[in-house]
Amino acid sequence: MKIKEEIKDGVMVIRLSGKVISGPDLMDLKSVFQSAVSKATGNVLLDLGHVAWMDSSGLGVLVSGHTSLAREGGRMAILNATKKIHELFIITKLVTIFETFNDESEAIESLKE
Amino acid sequence: MLKGIVLKIPSDDTIVEAVQIFVEKIGLTAGVNEEDVTGLSIAVMEVVKNAMEHGNGGDPRKLVTIYVDVYSGRLQFIIDDCGSWQPDADLGHEPGEGEALINSRGRGVLIARNLARWLDYGLNPEGKTRATLIWPLS
Repeated sequence: MKIKEEIKDGVMVIRLSGKVISGPDLMDLKSVFQSAVSKATGNVLLDLGHVAWMDSSGLGVLVSGHTSLAREGGRMAILNATKKIHELFIITKLVTIFETFNDESEAIESLKE
Repeated sequence: MLKGIVLKIPSDDTIVEAVQIFVEKIGLTAGVNEEDVTGLSIAVMEVVKNAMEHGNGGDPRKLVTIYVDVYSGRLQFIIDDCGSWQPDADLGHEPGEGEALINSRGRGVLIARNLARWLDYGLNPEGKTRATLIWPLS
């Protein structure tokens, strides 16, 4: 898994690629979320457009990040989830707690408010 | 035809990635297409992780045993652990709503069931938990 971060209009955009599955890489993703919370970066947009697969451990890290941000008054939204990843969110009902977008500008506009 | 493959692994999650590669190799050899083979390996790994955590309590001295057999049109994985946990009772398959959804366990079983569509839990001859996952081969 590769992780890239950037700030766009005050929104932290985290771009993931590869497989978001059990393993040491997930610790890196946890650290990125923790950093976003501790720096009070604000809202987070998670770009999953290049994520090939995700397992329950990967989903668990996303849920944990979402919960930590929400506690600090922040929001986390999902951008460009592929069909396979979107299906995972539906199966696990997580689609009900994450805002999802297919257009980055629209997502940034919503999150910077 | 692949028959009688047995892999015994300690209940240590650092080995999960290596096992996933093993499952993908087995899948490709058995005829699972490249687009589906990661789905197969994730389904198997979700079951293996549950066996390590819920069956063996994460104790590396306790083994998870994976049996692989290929039959006509079907690839079968049997995953045994050393415990007597009850997947439906201990994990449930209903994610719930609100806080229950956020805190819910059992996402792995949900994912494995959805990917494999044929996943049964039962007991092995010693009375320990056994998961059987069957993947159709075209």
